[in-house]
Amino acid sequence: MRVQKKPKFIRVPFIGELALSGVRPIIGILLGIIAGGVLIALSGINPFKAYGAMLQGAFGSLQSFSNVLVRSSPLLLGGVGVALGIKAGVWNTGIEGYMYLGAIGAAVVGIPALNLPPVLHIALALIVGMLFAAAWGLIPGFLRAYRGVNEVTTTIMLNYVAIFLTSWLVSEPQPLAEIDSFYPMSKLFQESAQLPILMKGTSLHPGAFIGLAVCILFYFILRYTPFGFQTRMLGINPNAARYSGVNTKQKIMLIIMIGAMMGGLAGAIEVTGLKRRVYMDFVTGVGYESVAVALVAGGNPLAVIAAALFFSALKAGGATMSIQTGVGAPMTSVIIALCVLFVIGVGISERRRLSKAVDKDEPDKVGAAGSKEDPNVI
Amino acid sequence: MSFDMIVDWLQATLRWSAPLIIVSTGEVLSERSGIINMGIEGIMLSGALCGVAISFLTGSVLASVLVTIVLGIIMGAAVAFLTVSRRTNQVVTGLMLNLLALGGTNLLFGLLSESRQTRVTTFPVLFPEAWHNIPVVGPVLFQQPVSTLIALILPICLSIVLYKTNWGLNVRAIGDNPQSAATAGISVKKIKYQTVILSGIFAALGGCALTLGEVGYFASGGMTAGRGFIVLAAIVVGGWDPIRTALACLVFGAADAAQLRLQTMESIIPYQFFQMLPYVITIIALTIMVKRSIVPKTWGAPYDPRDV
Repeated sequence: MRVQKKPKFIRVPFIGELALSGVRPIIGILLGIIAGGVLIALSGINPFKAYGAMLQGAFGSLQSFSNVLVRSSPLLLGGVGVALGIKAGVWNTGIEGYMYLGAIGAAVVGIPALNLPPVLHIALALIVGMLFAAAWGLIPGFLRAYRGVNEVTTTIMLNYVAIFLTSWLVSEPQPLAEIDSFYPMSKLFQESAQLPILMKGTSLHPGAFIGLAVCILFYFILRYTPFGFQTRMLGINPNAARYSGVNTKQKIMLIIMIGAMMGGLAGAIEVTGLKRRVYMDFVTGVGYESVAVALVAGGNPLAVIAAALFFSALKAGGATMSIQTGVGAPMTSVIIALCVLFVIGVGISERRRLSKAVDKDEPDKVGAAGSKEDPNVI
Repeated sequence: MSFDMIVDWLQATLRWSAPLIIVSTGEVLSERSGIINMGIEGIMLSGALCGVAISFLTGSVLASVLVTIVLGIIMGAAVAFLTVSRRTNQVVTGLMLNLLALGGTNLLFGLLSESRQTRVTTFPVLFPEAWHNIPVVGPVLFQQPVSTLIALILPICLSIVLYKTNWGLNVRAIGDNPQSAATAGISVKKIKYQTVILSGIFAALGGCALTLGEVGYFASGGMTAGRGFIVLAAIVVGGWDPIRTALACLVFGAADAAQLRLQTMESIIPYQFFQMLPYVITIIALTIMVKRSIVPKTWGAPYDPRDV
């Protein structure tokens, strides 16, 4: 057991420390990539060629790397939203719905001409997006905290509700919808509400950098603030948190809402920075992928950065791989899922070591032993 | 609403509930033994594609069912290996299996692009044509594909298995107190493996019933549309009892059937709000019923034989 010293100054982890804590995910990811390679080989394509194309598609040029960064923006924000939940012991799987609500919020203030200076207009769009998503997150948050309804089911049900809500808002008779469009979509955002393009010839918008900043911010919040301490306590031992005077119910609701706000920010950035409109089904799979990011990261916001960049490189490279070698584009989500399954499957030896250490101190563990979750929550 | 519309709606209710009920049968078993198989959404999706693909390739519904069962065994065994042997978090395992299935089905469906145009052979209707015109009962019961009829019998079979057989008693014992069950000489792991694999088989068959029961085609991009999660909710609402869970599935199926009918009607309410209906009803039902249900005592908790 490591002895925790009281830090005299704010300690930033070194690369070595990060690398050590990353051994398990890295083994899992390697196994996932090998398994993905086997699948590619089974479909009759040389896996080395395919992965080569993928690497080239992700890091081959400045342009392709900017593509990786663009794709990483929702994964960073969504991932850190889920990660915060994991630290507190809740599964905030509603990122997809939050993204839709964030996009709707951004559209409500971003589409009408408000005659605001760009900085203010963008900020307003992002903030309203976050507020819409937070209101959406209030539903599963309240139900989980005060009614004991399992948040996985409610958030996933609400994802579908959000999809249909968006579909309604961007279909024709509604004021936000584009007139006479071939596909349900909203009107174009005002110039002043669009995020700037950082590099000519690419679609690089500041989303990834906002995401990076948020991840780093949450790392410090979790580690060095009372809020962060209570959050982690809630995840490790909800009873201890309750006895030490934390209002656990309010806390759980708040954490789900903060996760929702991050999802909303991701959605708002996606529409103001990349799509410039709200399309009917503009979020595809990012919801589940954010959960994957947070899981591989083990709920650590700094590790979220690494995981999100890795998965977005996989996605950006996957598009190139699909064009060059004919491997279907959905292969990337298969590889992502395999990676996570291997990461959690490999992780058992570490937990066994931990539980051995615990067993010595605490001989009687009954019933829901080893379960982090409150057994009363359904 | 006219009388015909109500009959039509009842018929559709049974048809749309059938896949849910079939999936719930297996899931009740695995949850009774303490394992939440969150991957049923993904297994259902895979079963849906598998059914269509095999029916398209061979033209035989029987072959579809057999291959779907094999697929269910494989996917169920994967979930069992991870959650029972490796004791991974059951939520995570299930969600990632769903992601895997979503990507996998999209990938394979891309290869099967010719099947998009054709409507494959679907499940046959058992009862003779003459019975179809009997008022009410004819269209509601006798015009149904065989999968619907099986779905109506399954919950009864399951409650007999669960409450009247030794094996069912073992399953319930393991879900409530695995340590005592192990002391009594029951192999906890073996029975958990059995129930989770069964939940895989029924989830795959439920997916197969979704595509081969009525529509006869597969749509990429997750055509199960959260039905696996609706089943998970139905089980909580039904209090882990096979019959009550099936009734909850019927309610959700009724919402689904109503939604599909209301969409095409001219009304001031936009059709998207009808589409939300099944999901909203699921959330409301969960909220109302959640405190009244008796949860299997080790529901969702990993079993470690070293815990005493």
